[in-house]
Amino acid sequence: MLHVKNLTASIEGTPILKGLDLTVGAGEVHAIMGPNGSGKSTFAHALAGRDGYEIGGTATLDGADLLDMKPEARAAAGLFVGFQYPVEIPGVNNMYFLRAALNSVRRARGETEIGARDFLAVAKEAMDLVEMKEDFLNRSVNAGFSGGEKKRNEILQMAVLKPRLAVLDETDSGLDIDALQIIAAGVNSLGGPERSVIMITHYQRLLDYIKPDFVHVLVDGSIVASGDHTLALHLEDHGYADYVNHDLDDVPGRALSGAVS
Amino acid sequence: MTVTTPTIEKANLSSAPGLDRVDAINYPTKRDEAWRYSPHRELARLLFGPATTSARSMSADVAKDIAEQIPALDGPRIVVVNGVVDEARSDLTHLGDGLSVSTLADALKDQPEQLDSHFAQSADDIPDAFVALNMEFGRDGAVIHVAKGHELATPIHIVDIVVPGETQNASCTGVVIHLGEDSSATVVETRIGGGNQFGGSNTRTTITLDDNATLDHIVLQDMPSSQIHLSSIEVTQKEGSVFRARSFNLGASYGRIAYDVYLAGERAHTDLSGLYFGTGDQILDQQVTVIHAAKNCTSRQTFRGILDDESTGVFNGGIDVRPGADGTDAEQSNDNLLLSKRAEVNTQPRLEILADDVACKHGATVGQLDDEALYYLRTRGIPADEARRLLIRGFADQAVHAVDIEALRTWITDRLGHANG
Repeated sequence: MLHVKNLTASIEGTPILKGLDLTVGAGEVHAIMGPNGSGKSTFAHALAGRDGYEIGGTATLDGADLLDMKPEARAAAGLFVGFQYPVEIPGVNNMYFLRAALNSVRRARGETEIGARDFLAVAKEAMDLVEMKEDFLNRSVNAGFSGGEKKRNEILQMAVLKPRLAVLDETDSGLDIDALQIIAAGVNSLGGPERSVIMITHYQRLLDYIKPDFVHVLVDGSIVASGDHTLALHLEDHGYADYVNHDLDDVPGRALSGAVS
Repeated sequence: MTVTTPTIEKANLSSAPGLDRVDAINYPTKRDEAWRYSPHRELARLLFGPATTSARSMSADVAKDIAEQIPALDGPRIVVVNGVVDEARSDLTHLGDGLSVSTLADALKDQPEQLDSHFAQSADDIPDAFVALNMEFGRDGAVIHVAKGHELATPIHIVDIVVPGETQNASCTGVVIHLGEDSSATVVETRIGGGNQFGGSNTRTTITLDDNATLDHIVLQDMPSSQIHLSSIEVTQKEGSVFRARSFNLGASYGRIAYDVYLAGERAHTDLSGLYFGTGDQILDQQVTVIHAAKNCTSRQTFRGILDDESTGVFNGGIDVRPGADGTDAEQSNDNLLLSKRAEVNTQPRLEILADDVACKHGATVGQLDDEALYYLRTRGIPADEARRLLIRGFADQAVHAVDIEALRTWITDRLGHANG
């Protein structure tokens, strides 16, 4: 489904991603973990198509070259990125925004647009999933939302857009345990053989609720270790010290220590 | 240094009596703070004169075009074409209890004494020559009176239309609104034009609100880009009265809306909000002065501007707290969105506070479309152009939602949609 090869990203000449390789198959759940500043969010933005990066390498989703596309075309191709800091957009109604997004994606795929009444049913179903009240839809996008509400709104959008691949960047940060459970339940119920998820997270906590098939460790712009969910448990106990106390640039082929199966 | 003073074409004025009064009041120049950004050369090309009924004729095309521009509102309607009431296009059949609406021309004939608030001003109180011209030539329009205690459910619509002629391209219209004690009403003034010739309209509205009266007053300015619009709205509020003004300054090459609100009675409240949206090389000018002359009055000025291409926005907002007007609570805000590097906005607060125990706040912002928000919308599949439109609409939304009448909100949203490609 997703094939990322030798992905590089730099800002104003400063390299952040330094040759990232990742393959995600249909229906798989991957977790990317790493210390602050390792390039986790940059990876999400590089996939989403944010301006301001010099990008190299390739990233294809179902064979389509993502890196060549505008952000809106990537969404139409089936990519969804849930952001760590969703933007507040005062004056733009949440419901209107969701419908505009869904219809834009449908239009781009040559499907018919969905009317206001039918959309309400879609939205209601998505709202139940993340346990949101109806007045949520009548507010401005993220404006004045609490941290937890913003994250739930991200999952709500994912539920409406039904992407092929969801990349969730620090979706667990700033959440209390109740909100975390709601979000995890939402993500889990959206899972399936045709939908893949990449969770980017600093902590192992989220992975108690959404069990990953694969865990990758991202350090200094490239993936330095991969394994199953036990790798996350190891990181929880030992931190990233095994991976960051050395000059990894000089020893890219360094043998992995720890609980790698 | 010499200053060129625009002069009006004497040929079109010679027959009018009282022009000495107009001439006695100086034409504004760039040196006048209130006219600093105005296109003086264009203003000098406006040819004013006494209105004639023949001015009402217009071609079928222009008439059709104009009919399509008018918002669909139920209720009484007065249509003024080139400064003369057009009875065929007006509808005053269902006025209901407590409301009287007449043409200004009729009122001048029948009860001129009721129009003192509109015409009987000393030269010192006339702010500029364009107001003086209006007082001279604005002899028709609408006079609205709401009797004590009556609360009117349907809005009263005044439509002012200019179709410039060859010899006289500018018209003057007068509107007089008086609300009796404890009454309430909504008045909508739509200012539009026809044809693509140079010209303009000069409208003047004088409003008196008696004790505890409430007026909602909405101005929709959507003149053709070949025309100029000048509007002066002068309001006197007595004790406990409420004035809610909503202006949408959208059309004309130069669109100017001036509010002068005089809070004469205690506990009066005035709430002025406006939106201006400039494209091309439009200049959209809001000149606001609120005078607090009595104790415990409140005032709000909330104006938003969106400026694209090479357009210019002006907000000149004054709060003037007179001695003794203790307990004044006044706020002013002006937020602007610049969509182009060549667009500009000039915002200036003027505060003069001569009383005690005054709460006075003002703030202005100038910003651009939020790149982060654009990116966010695009990652959800919304194409860049549409994302831009969504954000612009979002910015305008606060002003649009200050209007209670749905038909007007629809009209405004449609109009903003056109401006916004």
